[in-house]
Amino acid sequence: MRYTSVIEEMNVFFSGQVMVVSKDTIVIQAIPITRGAFPQSLAEEIKGNIKEVEKAVPVLFITSINFEGIIQPVPPNFTIGIPVEDWGLILGLTPLKGNVGHYPTNESSNEVLVGASLADQYNWTVNKEIRVNGYKLNVTGILDTKLAILNRSIIMPLKLAQKIYTYPKSANIIAVKPIEGYSQKDLADTIEQQISYVQALTETERNDMIQPVLAQVETWNLGIQAVIFIMSLILVMTVTLMSVSERRRDFATLDAMGAPLSYVFRVVIFETSLIGVLGGILGIVFGSLAALVLASLYTNIPLAMFFPTFYEIIPPFYMCEIFLAVVFVCCLGGIIPAINATRMRIAEVLRAEY
Amino acid sequence: MEIKTIDLTKTYRLGPSEITAVNKVNFEVNEAKFVAIVGPSGSGKSTLLNLVGLNDYPTSGKIFIDDADASLLSSSKRRKIRLFRMGFVFQTFNLLPTLTALENVELPMSLADKPQKEQREKALRLLETVGLGKRLFHRPKELSMGEMQRVAIARALANEPEIIIADEPTGELDSKTAKEIIALLFDINRKEKTAVIVATHDEKIVDVADTIYTIQDGRLRLES
Repeated sequence: MRYTSVIEEMNVFFSGQVMVVSKDTIVIQAIPITRGAFPQSLAEEIKGNIKEVEKAVPVLFITSINFEGIIQPVPPNFTIGIPVEDWGLILGLTPLKGNVGHYPTNESSNEVLVGASLADQYNWTVNKEIRVNGYKLNVTGILDTKLAILNRSIIMPLKLAQKIYTYPKSANIIAVKPIEGYSQKDLADTIEQQISYVQALTETERNDMIQPVLAQVETWNLGIQAVIFIMSLILVMTVTLMSVSERRRDFATLDAMGAPLSYVFRVVIFETSLIGVLGGILGIVFGSLAALVLASLYTNIPLAMFFPTFYEIIPPFYMCEIFLAVVFVCCLGGIIPAINATRMRIAEVLRAEY
Repeated sequence: MEIKTIDLTKTYRLGPSEITAVNKVNFEVNEAKFVAIVGPSGSGKSTLLNLVGLNDYPTSGKIFIDDADASLLSSSKRRKIRLFRMGFVFQTFNLLPTLTALENVELPMSLADKPQKEQREKALRLLETVGLGKRLFHRPKELSMGEMQRVAIARALANEPEIIIADEPTGELDSKTAKEIIALLFDINRKEKTAVIVATHDEKIVDVADTIYTIQDGRLRLES
């Protein structure tokens, strides 16, 4: 769920714009995950040749998948190079933390903005000098945003990004804004007709592209949930059946004493519910911790950094949902053993014992 | 309470053979009698008590409870009779191991929906009566065999039954403790005017019984 919501969140970038990337580039929402660079001058070409274009901005989006020589299943951080006069294009009006600092002002400067999560991890503060790929950079502000990607991003002037990551005069995205009243779809078609080696993606297309992937992830999630549900149900049922069987004399005694069937039934369901409540609480505690530890291992982000945003990673609503599901499974798993318990008769139990 | 059986028979199928545990038994218990059913192991004592206690259904024959045919009673009505009008004492005590002595005695009253305060007061009084006033909060495994049987008797008395059905109540006890339990049952019979049916092969019980039946191969015979 969190994974898909992060992917969905990506489409807030380049809102209202057509995103032009190299034809062979795989794009997840607004992020090119394979590097298909082209000359930066393509932006001017698009602006010059297509009159329906209001603005075309080259962007260099680097996903740091390779971290210390190890391929990371989840990119731990991103670098976004963007011309200084076009900050708003991707970031909108993202404020800076504590209103301290400023956006880089000079294309040739070594000024950068960093995401809050990165800043926390490496103790970066405003005006602190940091090193990326051997270059000394100066942090001029920390982004105050809830977007996971921006929290793990270094935003810098395009030229600086090209220099640091050795993409001279290149970009891998061109964000193209159509003139007012002109549709993204028509603009994307025009771009693709005129420039054969790019794909131009409208917001809708970017969404559509990811839908099958998201659907597949959701299907897998659902499948895994169903398997866990059935396995838990069988497990709870088996354990409770054994427990009832071990206490058949107790249930038979209750029956001999004249206990109503509903009482015996409730006793067993209460027991399984109690197991559900305790199991649910312990499961949420240990499951959440396990999720954070795995996330930390996958992303190389220290575990402690996940705690401040714990309720965003695993929202209380999901915790309640999981808790209720566990209690429900346990209650359901108790039904057959409970029926079994109501059928214990003292005459049969004693006959079986002697 | 009056219990009467007419040609009561219970047969079990054990593989290819059929075993008749109770064979055409005609038996009657009137108010406040102490009845002993004596017979060796496997003679059908427990089966007969289970039938009389409405814990089992006969293969043929009839049981009448106060002239009402028990076979016509619904399962719920049979439960109510067991809960409110009968008390059971088992050879192996059958106390619930997770409950204390006090809670075990409170249980039948709780099943009968009696108020919590009444349950507690009555359970305390009954445990005092059976001499376990100082063992209230002990669980069964912390009690001796004799003490467990006393708790079981207190539990059987909780809903003030008209009859106590005891299946080999002294079977697991040493002779001194057995004597005490017999005295206790006799005392209850005489003082509370509660009928007692005991299945046993203990001579000491036979000595105090008002009516003695013997049972052999499922056939019951009145001795005295």
